[in-house]
Amino acid sequence: MKVIYTDVLVVGGGLAGLRMAIGAKRRGHDTIILSLVPPKRSHSAAAQGGMQASLGNVIKGQGDNEDIHFEDTVRGSDWGADQVVARMFVNTSPKAARELAAWGLPWSRVRKGDRQVIINSQKVTITERDEAQGLIAQRDFGGTKKWRTCYVSDGTGHAMLYTASDRAIAEGIDVHERCEALALIHDDNRCYGAIVRDLITGELRVYLAKATALATGGAGKVYRVTTNAVICEGIGHALALETGVAALGNMEAVQFHPTGIVPVGILVTEGCRGDGGLLRDIDGHRFMPDYEPEKKELASRDVVSRRMEEHIRKGKGIKSRFGEHLWLDITLLGRHHIEHNLREVKEICESFLGIDPAEKWIPVRPAHHYTMGGVRTHHTGESPHLKGLFAAGEAACWDMHGFNRLGGNSVAETVVAGMIVGEFISDFCDEKENDIDIPMKLAQEFYDREKGKLQSLLNSTGNESAFKINTEMQEIMTRSVGIFRNGEALGEGVKQLQALLERSRNIALTSKVPGVNPELVMAYRVQKMLKVALAIAYGALQRTESRGAHFREDFPHRNDKEWLKRTLSFWRGDSTTLPELQYEELDVMKMELPPGWRGYGAKDYIDHPDTAKRQAEVEEIRKQTEGQDRFAVQDKIMPFRDKLPASLRERNERIDEPLN
Amino acid sequence: MSDVQKNTAPGGQSRKNRLLTFHILRYNPQDPDSKPHMQSYQVEEAEGMTLFLALTEIREHQDPTLQYDFVCRAGICGSCSMLINGRPGLACRTLTHNLDPDITLAPLPVFELIGDLSVNTGKWMRGMSERLETWVHTKEQELDLSKMEERMDPDLAESIYELDRCVECGSCVAACGTAQMRNDFVGAVGMNKIARFKLDSRDTRSDDDFYELVGDDTGVFGCMSLLGCQDVCPKELPLQTQIAFLRRKMISAGLKR
Amino acid sequence: MSNDTLIIQAGLSDKPRKSKWPARLDLAQSASGLFLALFMWLHMFFVASICLGEDVMWTVTKFFEGYYFFGTAYPRLVSVVVGVVIVIFVTHALLAVRKFPISYKQYKTYHAHMKSMRHEDTTLWMWQVYTGFAMFFLASAHLYQMFVWPQEIGPYGSADRMWSDMLWPFYLVLLLCVEFHGGIGLYRLAVKWCWPNATRDFLKKLKWATTGFFLIIGFATLFAYMKLGYEHRANYGEPYVPTSISQSIEGTYK
Repeated sequence: MKVIYTDVLVVGGGLAGLRMAIGAKRRGHDTIILSLVPPKRSHSAAAQGGMQASLGNVIKGQGDNEDIHFEDTVRGSDWGADQVVARMFVNTSPKAARELAAWGLPWSRVRKGDRQVIINSQKVTITERDEAQGLIAQRDFGGTKKWRTCYVSDGTGHAMLYTASDRAIAEGIDVHERCEALALIHDDNRCYGAIVRDLITGELRVYLAKATALATGGAGKVYRVTTNAVICEGIGHALALETGVAALGNMEAVQFHPTGIVPVGILVTEGCRGDGGLLRDIDGHRFMPDYEPEKKELASRDVVSRRMEEHIRKGKGIKSRFGEHLWLDITLLGRHHIEHNLREVKEICESFLGIDPAEKWIPVRPAHHYTMGGVRTHHTGESPHLKGLFAAGEAACWDMHGFNRLGGNSVAETVVAGMIVGEFISDFCDEKENDIDIPMKLAQEFYDREKGKLQSLLNSTGNESAFKINTEMQEIMTRSVGIFRNGEALGEGVKQLQALLERSRNIALTSKVPGVNPELVMAYRVQKMLKVALAIAYGALQRTESRGAHFREDFPHRNDKEWLKRTLSFWRGDSTTLPELQYEELDVMKMELPPGWRGYGAKDYIDHPDTAKRQAEVEEIRKQTEGQDRFAVQDKIMPFRDKLPASLRERNERIDEPLN
Repeated sequence: MSDVQKNTAPGGQSRKNRLLTFHILRYNPQDPDSKPHMQSYQVEEAEGMTLFLALTEIREHQDPTLQYDFVCRAGICGSCSMLINGRPGLACRTLTHNLDPDITLAPLPVFELIGDLSVNTGKWMRGMSERLETWVHTKEQELDLSKMEERMDPDLAESIYELDRCVECGSCVAACGTAQMRNDFVGAVGMNKIARFKLDSRDTRSDDDFYELVGDDTGVFGCMSLLGCQDVCPKELPLQTQIAFLRRKMISAGLKR
Repeated sequence: MSNDTLIIQAGLSDKPRKSKWPARLDLAQSASGLFLALFMWLHMFFVASICLGEDVMWTVTKFFEGYYFFGTAYPRLVSVVVGVVIVIFVTHALLAVRKFPISYKQYKTYHAHMKSMRHEDTTLWMWQVYTGFAMFFLASAHLYQMFVWPQEIGPYGSADRMWSDMLWPFYLVLLLCVEFHGGIGLYRLAVKWCWPNATRDFLKKLKWATTGFFLIIGFATLFAYMKLGYEHRANYGEPYVPTSISQSIEGTYK
C-alpha cells in the first residue's frame, strides 16, 4: 500500500482547485492537487463570456459597486442564496480580477473615446472616459444592472485557467495528473484524505492529509445533453455523499441553457437571439410568440428552455439519430453581421455541424448547463458535518447561487472561493488542535474496501452493462428531472433511478485488461453518479414549489412560506437507494435583501411570514443611518466583513470611489 | 454533406449513411501481452458525426477497452489531438463527413504513450512550463488587491491574448520534424510561450534572461523552420512569425554576450 | 588539462550562464548558406556564358584571371576565390551536419514522420539532407579540381572535361543537388528570419520558379558544353583561342 502524506489535498485542478492550492501553499502548507486530466484541460476553460467583478471601469458600468452586484446575485438566486456568502463574494471578486491581472491575465482593456455597440438591436455610440484608458474592460451580461463582466476576448475561462495553472507551477505545487479519488478516508467526524486510483497504471494509492478539499466541478454528465465536459460527472459530489456524514445542498437546483447545439451539446451564445435570431420547429414555424407573446425568443433562459421542451413534447421537434431538436435560425441576420458579431457561433457551426449559419439553420435543444447544488459548506468552505473536508467552486454549496446562477458569476466564484477557502484551509491547518495522528488502520480499511470493490467489479458474474446503465440514467434524468418537472414524472424517475442503482450492483465487465480499463472506470463512476442523480431527482420531487431553475408544473409558485430553506441530502449506508433529506431554514430576519419580486419572471409568490417584518426593519435602519456612507449602512443591516479572511476585508478602489 | 444539412427545411431524412471503417493503432503498455497492431471497426455515419462521437460509439458498443482522451469535446481544451490519417488534429472537432470512409487513427508521436490513442501531453507540457518558466515574473509582494489594477495598452492586451490562445494540445510538437528526432526540443508551443511573455509588459525578464531559457539548439536555434507546427495548429497561431521574431531577438542577445 | 575542458566534460558549460556560441553558430549557418546560394547563382550565370558563344565564355574566364586588369591572365586568382569558397563550404557543411539525422533511429523516425505528414516543407528538408550529403563529395571534388587546375577553365577545357573526361554525369547530379539544395535553403532562410515580409505561399512559388529557372539554364549550359566537347573530342586538351586573337595576331599569342 503506497501512502502519500501532505498537509492539504485538493481534489480537482480547475480554477477553484488551483487557486485554493496556491493559497494554501503560500501560507506554507504542503499541497498536492489531484486532477483527472492535466489542469489546463479542466472545464473552467470553457467559460467564454467573462467574470463578474464590479470594477465599474467602462462607462456603462459607471456607478457599479458591491451593493448592486450583491442585489443582482441574490435576485438571480431567487432568494435561495446565503446572503452573507454573496456579500463575501462580491467584495472579493474585484480583488480576484486584479490579482489575475497582476499574474499576467491579458484582460481586455478599456480604450478611451467613442465606440459603437448594439443595445436592444440598435446601434448606439458610447464614449469611454479618458481616465479609464487601459483599465480592465467590462461587457454586458444577462441579469445584471450594470456592465460588470470582465473578459478576455472570447476566451476568458481559458486565459484564467492558464494564468492560474502557470502560477501554480511557479509556486511549485505538485499536481498528480490523471488521478482519480475513489473514496474519502474518514470516520464519523473527521476526514483524513482519499483513496486514489492512477488513471495511467490503474494503481491504487492512499493520500493522507490534514485537510481535504473538493473542487471537482459540476455533475452535467448525469444528463444526456449537457454543455459540460465529459469529466463533469459529479464524482466530487458523490465522494462527499458516500461518506454518509457530509451533505449535499440544493441538488435539485440545475440550470439549463436554451441553445445547446445538437447532437454535441456545445453552447451557442444567447447573443444569437439577442441580435434577432428565431427559434423554429419541424414545420419551420416560429413558435415562441405563441407561448410568450411579449418577450418571444428573448424571455429569460429558464422560460425559453421550458417553452422549447414543451414544444418538443407536443411532437414538434425534429427527429434525428441523436434525439429530437428544434432550429435556431440566424440566417436573417445576414452574413456580415454573423461574420463580425457572432464569429464564435460561426466557427462552432463550421467545426461541429459542417454548416454555414448564414445559410442554414442550427439544430438546438436546451442543454444542462450548471450544477447550483454541491457539497454543503460553511462560508469558510468547510463541511459543517465532516471536519477537515472542504469544498469550493461548482462542486460546493456555500451557497452563493441559490436556485439560479447569474451568467459570469460561476467563473468569478471559482477564483473567489479559491482565495477565501484557501485562507481558511490554511487557518485550519495552522491550528494545533487540527493536527492528526496518522490513521493507518483506517487508511488500510478504506484501501482494502476500495480494492475489494474494484475486484468484485472485475470478478462480477452479473449481467448489466455499465455503459448501458449510464445511458439509461442520462435518459431518465433528461426525461424526468429536466426543465419541466412534476410530481408524477419525478416520482417515476426516482423509482427508475432506484431500480437502476440496484441493477448497477450487478454490473459485469466484458473486458478485464490490465491498466486503467475504461469499462471499469465507467462501472465505478456510474455507481457514484446514480447517487448524485438520485439526490437531484429526490430533492426535486420533495420540493413542492418553483424557485429559480427548479420549476414544478404542479406547484408553479415560489413558496417562501414553506420552502425558504435549503435541501440537504445524506446517503446513509451502502444498501439504501434513496438519500435522506433534511432542510435548513434560511433566516429572513437576517437577510440584507428580504425576498420579493426578482424584477423579471413570475410576480406571484407566497410570502414568508417574516418578510414584511424584516422589510420594515431594513427600511428603519436605512432611515436611521441616512447620510452615512454605503458601507456603514450595509454594516448595520447585515455585517459580513469579519467573516472574510483578514487579507480580503479591504474595500475596493474604483475610478469613482477612491480609497481614503 | 447529407440531405438534411443541405436543406434546412425540416423533416428531411438523410440518404443511406456511409459505413465508416476506422483503422486504429492499438497498444496497451500496461498489458505484457499487448503488441502494437492496427484494429478495424465499422461505424455507421450520422449527420454531424465527429470523431468524438464515433469513438464513443466504438467504445460503448464494440470495444470497451479502447483508450482515448476527450474532455471539452468542443475544441477548446486540447486533450484529443491525435494523428488523423497521419496528421495531428483535434479529434473532437473533426467531422467524419470531411474524411474518406477509411479513417486511420494513431496516437501523437513524441509524447509518452498511455494506451491506444491516449498520450501524456500533460506531463510534457508541465515539463516545458517548468523549464521555460511560463509565468509572468514580477515583484508581486508589493501587490495591494484593493488598489486599482495597473493599466495596459488595449492593443498590447489583445496581442498577448492572440498568443495566449494556445491550448497545449501538442499538435505542433507532433508535427515537428525536429522534435521527432530530438526529444529535448522545446517545440513551437514553448517558443510561442516565450514570445508571449516577452511581449508582456508586466514580465520583468530581459532578452538576456530569455536567452538563458531558449538560447541553444534545444530551443530556438534548434528550430529548422519546417513549419509543420504552423500548418497543423488548431488555433491558427502565427507560429512562424513568432519563432522568427524570437530567433532574431535571441541572436542579438547572443551576440552581445 | 585546462579548467575549461573539465567544466565542459562535467556538462557544466552552460552554468551559470548559457554559452554565446549557439547564437553565433546559428547565424553562421544561415550566413554561409546565403553566401553559397548567392554565389551559385552568379556562378551559374558565368558558366552559362557558353550558351552565348565560346568567345563570351573565354572573355568571362579571362576577366576572372585578371587579364583585363593586368594585361596577363593569372589563373591563380581563381584559385584564391575557390579557396575562399572552400572555406565557407566546409564551414557550412560542418554547421549543417549538426541538424542531420545522426543515427539510423533518427533517420527512420524522421522518414516515417515525413511519410505520415505529407507536408511539403517537411519533405523538402529531407531532400536538403540528401542533396547536402551528396555535395559533401561532389562539390568537394569539383572545388578541388578548380583549386588545383584553374587554368583548365575555358571553353575547350571545360567542354573536354564534360565529354572526353566523361564528367557530364557528375555535373548533372551536382547541378540538380545545387539547385534543389540552394533553392530550398533560400526559401527556408526567408521563412526562418521572416524576411522579406511575404507570405509563405508566395515564397514557395518564388522558390520553385527560381529553381526551375536555374535548372533550365543549367541544363542548357550542360548541353552546350557537351556538344562543344563532342565536336572538340579530336583535339582534346587544346586550349581555346578566341576568334579576335586568332584572326588579327595569329600565331603571336601562342
